[in-house]
Amino acid sequence: MSLAQLRDVSLVNFLKIREQQSRLLAVGLTAAIVGYIGWKIVQSPDQALQFAFNGLAVGAVYALLAMGFTLVYSTVWFFDLYYGAAAAIGAYGVFYLRSHDVLGGQYAVNSGPVNVLFAVVTAGVAAWALQVLLYRRLHTRLQPKTLLIVGGLLATAFGIYTGLVLANPANLHVLLSPLVAALVAGVAIWALNRAHLRFALQTNQGPFAAMVAVAIALGVLVAIFVASTPGLGLYLSWFVACLLSGTVSLALYRGLYVTMRERANSPLIMLVASLGILLAITAFITIVFRAAPRPLPDTFGSEPWTIGGATIKGFNVFAIGLALAGFGVLLFVVKKTAFGKAVRAIGDDEEVAKVVGINTTVVIAVVFFIGAVYAALAGLVSGHDTAIQPRMGLLLLLKGWIASVVGGIGSLYGAIVGGFALGMLEQFGIWDLAGEWRDVISFIVLIVFLSFWPQGLLPRK
Amino acid sequence: MSIATGALRNLQDVARDPRSWWQRSKGNIELWANLIVIGWALVFMLWRGGGFAITVGSVFAIWAILAVSLNLVVGYTGLLSVGHIGFFGVGAYAMAVLSSNASYEQLRTEAIPTFGWPFFAALPFSVILAGLVALVVGVAFNRFRDDIYVLVSFGFAVIAFTTFLSWRNLTRGAFGIHEIARPAIGPLVFEGELEFLALLLVFLGLVVLIAWLIVTSSFGRVLTAIREDEEGIQVFGYHTTHYKLAIWVISAMMAGLAGALLASWSTFIDPNSFVLLESVLLVSIVILGGLASIWGSLLGALAFVMLEEGMRFVPFLPSEFIGQIRQVILGILLVLLMLFRPQGLVGRFKL
Repeated sequence: MSLAQLRDVSLVNFLKIREQQSRLLAVGLTAAIVGYIGWKIVQSPDQALQFAFNGLAVGAVYALLAMGFTLVYSTVWFFDLYYGAAAAIGAYGVFYLRSHDVLGGQYAVNSGPVNVLFAVVTAGVAAWALQVLLYRRLHTRLQPKTLLIVGGLLATAFGIYTGLVLANPANLHVLLSPLVAALVAGVAIWALNRAHLRFALQTNQGPFAAMVAVAIALGVLVAIFVASTPGLGLYLSWFVACLLSGTVSLALYRGLYVTMRERANSPLIMLVASLGILLAITAFITIVFRAAPRPLPDTFGSEPWTIGGATIKGFNVFAIGLALAGFGVLLFVVKKTAFGKAVRAIGDDEEVAKVVGINTTVVIAVVFFIGAVYAALAGLVSGHDTAIQPRMGLLLLLKGWIASVVGGIGSLYGAIVGGFALGMLEQFGIWDLAGEWRDVISFIVLIVFLSFWPQGLLPRK
Repeated sequence: MSIATGALRNLQDVARDPRSWWQRSKGNIELWANLIVIGWALVFMLWRGGGFAITVGSVFAIWAILAVSLNLVVGYTGLLSVGHIGFFGVGAYAMAVLSSNASYEQLRTEAIPTFGWPFFAALPFSVILAGLVALVVGVAFNRFRDDIYVLVSFGFAVIAFTTFLSWRNLTRGAFGIHEIARPAIGPLVFEGELEFLALLLVFLGLVVLIAWLIVTSSFGRVLTAIREDEEGIQVFGYHTTHYKLAIWVISAMMAGLAGALLASWSTFIDPNSFVLLESVLLVSIVILGGLASIWGSLLGALAFVMLEEGMRFVPFLPSEFIGQIRQVILGILLVLLMLFRPQGLVGRFKL
């Protein structure tokens, strides 16, 4: 055996021993944590139940964040720090629309420039969406000039509609009823059509026309219901905030990231650029809403329930349900639809996806939209749970990032498991400490995970 | 030296043949960045007079020490650390706790120990403490790279901030620490702002000198090689982890020095000076000025300070928004730089 071979063998042995040591340490650590939690549970079961509830409630927010974050990351493979601002926009969007309702309206905000800004952004995004959706199908049949004028008018109309909605938050239920109706009808048509395609492929177009009629009737009924129920204002404001956050994300992607991704040769460039965007948006939010924390209005289920010696707010149960439902929807979209297939194809290899005819720009844009909607949901849920402040975006971003690393970066199952696991660990960790140490605990969890399980709990296959 | 001779040669060129000089340096962004920032600062200082210049100079010196120290890690070694404000805070709090006279009324729950050390006794201690913290943190962080490094360094900043805010028996939490000692050598007390500015500039010169010695030495060349290709330099038998740890500790000690100086300069600190966003601003200064360029960091810090001071004199701007508007401008600048000039204004290394 030559000297070089000998050295190779010793190196391999050394690495093996090192791996064994690290595994041993990890197992010991896990046992210690489990033992500590078990001891605590035996000591005072009621309190343990309380911490478990709190952990689930916090974990729901983290899970929502991690799902959107991991969806975006596993598609474009760079860390988009704008994501934190998306969460803050979600929370502050709700506050903006309901500020006349909070604490007797003493913090009421409604500024013209902000409305105009969002109107312009929406108009731009609508113009791009129209161009993508309709131009390619219609430009053979109609004159380009007509298309341009009609498209421009439609986009402007969208912008003006957004501005109107933002400027009249008190009449949200009336203004939004057509949009909600159109959405309900659209989803109904899509679902019925899917069922139709699956179960009755041989039949003619007759049933389809009937389905459309049913869907439109449903939409009109929903519109009438929404327009006559002012109490829906808060929940409609959630809807608007999510849409706004998604729209801003889409605009950023189309306006900036597409160009940058062509030029950038390292993910760090994208990371720093998105950090700049996060800085700018956080400061913008501070200018509009001031730096002090603000409360969001009460929701249904703000009253605590008592379950076996522990209390939990009904809203937290709703949040946990929302996280699970969000997970279900995302799983369905990614695993069962053609769009999901395209997303996975882009995540595996963007160039090849382009070659086989996937419009990667559009698919990634929709991914950014969905990601931002999840972030906004997380932001507004955490805002209703505690309070909102401009720098919440950065902290929520970090929590979502940690949760997705703990769960296994790029994996959807990992995201939800990681989110809830992080929430639980954080809550059990502050049992003997004060609540302000929870951020520290989650970063210690992160460093431990990165050191011993860099793949995370449920790694991407 | 080379900067001075370069500037002199440039001046000679202008005097000799202005037209051809203009043709040659029209597209020289480095030259224009230098001219605009320094010219702006000079004009402002002349216009506002001495007191303004002293304040701006002190703030600039502290930020410049921080930026130079961070550039050693980010620009030369290629580790994008966002947690540098933590070491700044460790230095500041060490100085504050050790040298505060604490003659103020203390609540029983917030009672903190008083030491009453003089400045020059507390200064080495603060610097070494920052270095020790960096040693522990660096050993834990050494295995990470790229975007994961960004995440864990964010974590360090959060942990440091939470510690400053919540370890009330030592830091008085959100109340902050008052009456931090001013430096004194025998009978000479640095009470006035001008003397303190001189002291700050001496320390800044020292830091720049050390940084310059590091980056021009063989040690610095290994750091650059780690940035370019870590496996490549490992093949030549360099223990890159040791080098990364060494520069990390040195850089943290410089940041700790800056923190100690800040504490003594402002005589009052609270955790708000060490929030996560400040850390992000610091990184954006380093990137704005230029990666892997000491001069770039000085320029970036000057531009950052002048941006804030300059905006104080925009007539229709409410003063409470200045910090926020500066943040918006920095954010947009960061995006533009990443788009058009990833090495920063006068940088040598593209991210």
